[in-house]
Amino acid sequence: MGLSEQPAERLPVASSPPGGVLGAGTPTFLTTRLDFVVNWARRNSLWPMPFGTACCAIEMMAAAASNFDLARFGMERMSFSPRQADVLICAGRVPYKLAPVLRRIWDQMPQPKWAVSMGACASSGGVFDVYSMVQGIDTIIPVDVYVPGCPPRPEGLIYGLMMIQEKIREERLSEHGTLRAEDPAAVARARADAEEVLALSGPFGNSTRQNRVSGPTGSDASDRPDDRIP
Amino acid sequence: MPASTTVEALRAAFPDAVVRDLVQSGDQQVVYIDPSRNAEVLDWLRTDPGERFNLLVDVTAVDYGDGRPLEVVYQLWSIPHRRALRVKCELPLSRLAIASVTALWSAANWLEREVYDLFGIEFRGHPDLRRILMPENYAEGHPLRKDFPLRGRFSRAEQTRRALSQDMEQYYMPDEMEGRGAPQLVPADESATSGSGSQGR
Ligand code: SF4
Repeated sequence: MGLSEQPAERLPVASSPPGGVLGAGTPTFLTTRLDFVVNWARRNSLWPMPFGTACCAIEMMAAAASNFDLARFGMERMSFSPRQADVLICAGRVPYKLAPVLRRIWDQMPQPKWAVSMGACASSGGVFDVYSMVQGIDTIIPVDVYVPGCPPRPEGLIYGLMMIQEKIREERLSEHGTLRAEDPAAVARARADAEEVLALSGPFGNSTRQNRVSGPTGSDASDRPDDRIP
Repeated sequence: MPASTTVEALRAAFPDAVVRDLVQSGDQQVVYIDPSRNAEVLDWLRTDPGERFNLLVDVTAVDYGDGRPLEVVYQLWSIPHRRALRVKCELPLSRLAIASVTALWSAANWLEREVYDLFGIEFRGHPDLRRILMPENYAEGHPLRKDFPLRGRFSRAEQTRRALSQDMEQYYMPDEMEGRGAPQLVPADESATSGSGSQGR
């Protein structure tokens, strides 16, 4: 029994019904909120700028590869040019020598932009509380999401990126001007001022026989009441 | 283990430059030499037909702390004779200077810069002795010395400020990244022959 023998009125799309987008009787237009549409478009087409400096970058690559597939979230294009990137993923240790490079890449990214600090080292210096290491990239650039772990699993990074998407969903167009204002005076400057950096690097007892900011001290914890976190 | 032929030959050629020798880690021959004669001795090791230590594997240094002398270490390998030799020079903390061997092996250029950067040993006659790993405006000293505090001498705030005041154009010159201005790696006569089609075979 051929298709041509069916009665014409039973063919599914013989003639377009006098209706709208969802079939007969539905309206030919949709209403929505402008900020919803803008945020929907933004959060589903985030292009990451991979700033992978150490072991964490391997997990970031795994997150982009087929098993975990960042492309599901509209992030299939790792943008190696900061000019076309939306999310900076700092994955790994940042030594002081690299700090101005990180800052410049952040300054080169156009608004709107977000930053993910991936792993213990990027977020706090991690175990590398030493002369050469930035103690948390949030002293250099503003960070939206910190992903803990050493290294975080790809699921962790994906969860962090989904938190960025949540953050974008909550934004309102009326706030974009203030949320996304560029401050020319902040370009090439550390985000945190000296006081904040000092507070972050305060005494923090550990096994290295040193205060954070001083030279060698006694290793016995009772010698160093100033090392205890208040 | 008997002293290797290299050490015997070295003692014969430079009776007063060899301080002592020992064998470490099973078969690693180590020779301590007088630091004021390092270039002479190393040049002999490199060119003497019986030795031919033509590969400089590494130049590094060791600080044992407690005011003991710093050791500059030359790790050599003889490609023709398939032999390794470790040459050490002890430098007192009061006089951290030694002759550069860049004229003997050009591989020593960056290795000596690294030792200078991290230990503060001055290599006399080095063509370009500046920091290589630490930022150029680094002013806290030489971090691998035992008397260097783990977290540096400046506060974190000062370190952050200095880091961001680096002049990046100074380090990341397009010329340097693209290899222009780098020393020619293949000697001119060899690159001329390979350029004229002898690679095709
Ligand atoms: S957090 Fe761990 S895995 Fe990540 S860069 Fe630091 S040491 Fe490497």
